[in-house]
Amino acid sequence: MTKIRVAIVDDEQLARKLLREYLTEFEDFEIVAECANGFEAVKAVADLKPDLLLLDIQMPRLDGFEVLELVGREVGVIFVTAYDKYALRAFEVHAVDYLLKPFTLERFREAVNRARSRLDSKDPFPPAELAAAARTPGLHLERVAIRDGANVHVLPVSKIDYIEAQDDYVCFHSEGKRLLKQQTLAEVERALDPSQFVRVHRSYILNIDRLAKLELYAKDSHAAILRNGSRLPVSRSGYARLNALL
Amino acid sequence: MYLQAWLPIAALLTQVLARGGTIGWSEAAAIVFPMCLLYAFICQASWYLCNAVPLRIAGPGSRFEADTVRLVGSHATAAVGSAGVWVGVGWIWALILSSAVGLTGIDARYVTQIPILFISGVLLFLIAVALNYLLITFQTSQRAQSKALELQVLAREAELKALRAQIDPHFLFNSLNSINALVMTDREAARQMCVLLADFLRGSLKFGSAERIPLAEEMRLAECYLDIERVRLGSRLKIQRDIDPECEACLVPPLITQPLVENAITHGVAAMIEGGVVSLHATRNGAGVKIVIENPFEEENKVETGSGLGLKNVRMRLANLYDGDARMDVNQNAGLFRVELQMPCDRV
Repeated sequence: MTKIRVAIVDDEQLARKLLREYLTEFEDFEIVAECANGFEAVKAVADLKPDLLLLDIQMPRLDGFEVLELVGREVGVIFVTAYDKYALRAFEVHAVDYLLKPFTLERFREAVNRARSRLDSKDPFPPAELAAAARTPGLHLERVAIRDGANVHVLPVSKIDYIEAQDDYVCFHSEGKRLLKQQTLAEVERALDPSQFVRVHRSYILNIDRLAKLELYAKDSHAAILRNGSRLPVSRSGYARLNALL
Repeated sequence: MYLQAWLPIAALLTQVLARGGTIGWSEAAAIVFPMCLLYAFICQASWYLCNAVPLRIAGPGSRFEADTVRLVGSHATAAVGSAGVWVGVGWIWALILSSAVGLTGIDARYVTQIPILFISGVLLFLIAVALNYLLITFQTSQRAQSKALELQVLAREAELKALRAQIDPHFLFNSLNSINALVMTDREAARQMCVLLADFLRGSLKFGSAERIPLAEEMRLAECYLDIERVRLGSRLKIQRDIDPECEACLVPPLITQPLVENAITHGVAAMIEGGVVSLHATRNGAGVKIVIENPFEEENKVETGSGLGLKNVRMRLANLYDGDARMDVNQNAGLFRVELQMPCDRV
């Protein structure tokens, strides 16, 4: 019988210890990794391909949802946290369960059994849904987590100059760097603060703080010149949106 | 209403004049009522004099005598002066009455009554002064009372808000989870954690309602909080403390440092992968006391750092309690967040 491979992710050592202890009674579960932060978790999932994550949410630098967004969705998740305010979001990213600290062994068994039956089912993970899409309405993205091979970049949105659509990817331009992420431009647009980021073109979202001037270069067609000299095309509807904001 | 109060006075004066024998009742009334109307306004004007020369609660000896001389002198002068003017105007009025209305000889007969009218004028003025002082004292005490009440309400509100903000329930949940983890493997540590948690809660409840507590108690509570967080965060949290014994007796508002220490953990050390040192310093600073709390923080996370509720709370409390004699300085640079509190060192 193949065992269910588990990774424990929590920045508190005692919390990890408790999960390890609770798991000992389940012989069909095997702990393959213990991670003290989100970066370790992203790496562990890529390297070890666990079936289940026991995932804390509030962690330094990279929170539980960002971890999930970065690893894709071929892994089951039980969130383990002291905060109840993320429950709805956890539900929206199809978490197996949501454990509120502190919890009893009984409650933990329930969660693990639920995970087991989910993993046994024909289609354990519903269609990939990005955590970015499951954002509390009214709350905007403050930073973007981007995986670049083995590295993880955490990019504060204020550092983004503009975002460009490239086939199945979006490319974040920031301080001369380009960071690629598998996502659609529409998803990114939805998550960002609309008073700060404007879809100026089918393929471009602009951080309006970076706008230096607008140039008219043909009838009905404009170009945005950025502070760093970059030049973005502005469509007619993009121009209207920009005008409404400025 | 004020003028109504003068009616009996006018009646009395009319009677005094008529009793003199030389002036008839109707004549006396014709003189006295207009005069009383005039004097009513003169006496009301003494209100300004009373405000200009306030009654003082007896201070150091010489000062008190000087004040008394000034007080008695100015009112006596004013009383004599206004009574003189009043009687003079009365005489002119009597002249007008005698020549214009035909009450011949009224002026001459009026002159014989001048001394008694003058004395009445002085007395009336002094009575008005006394009443004015009474009114002023009453108003002052009422104003002071409502001000005190207002301050009390403000202080209570701030206290409540502070208390509510002080204990983050997630701190409790996380601590309980740590105990849950320790129970199986390290029972002694679990027990110790229970005791720490109880100490902290008991202290918060006990001191939360006090007006001021000794700095030693305040620091003990902060350290208790940090000790609990150290169990949770393990080696990621290091604590450095340096409390000058000189300032341990200074009285400070209870739990004034709690939001700051909490920030140092939640927005500082707990938000860093490698953790860091939270330092707690207290020293005497002239006549006051200076408390400094420092912690490292992730500069990338500046959005979350010092989001302000805790800091705003502390600033407001200091402003309410010390009326500008206390201050809080916050600065963050080179990855270090530093809050400095300065307040007077009150003692029992």
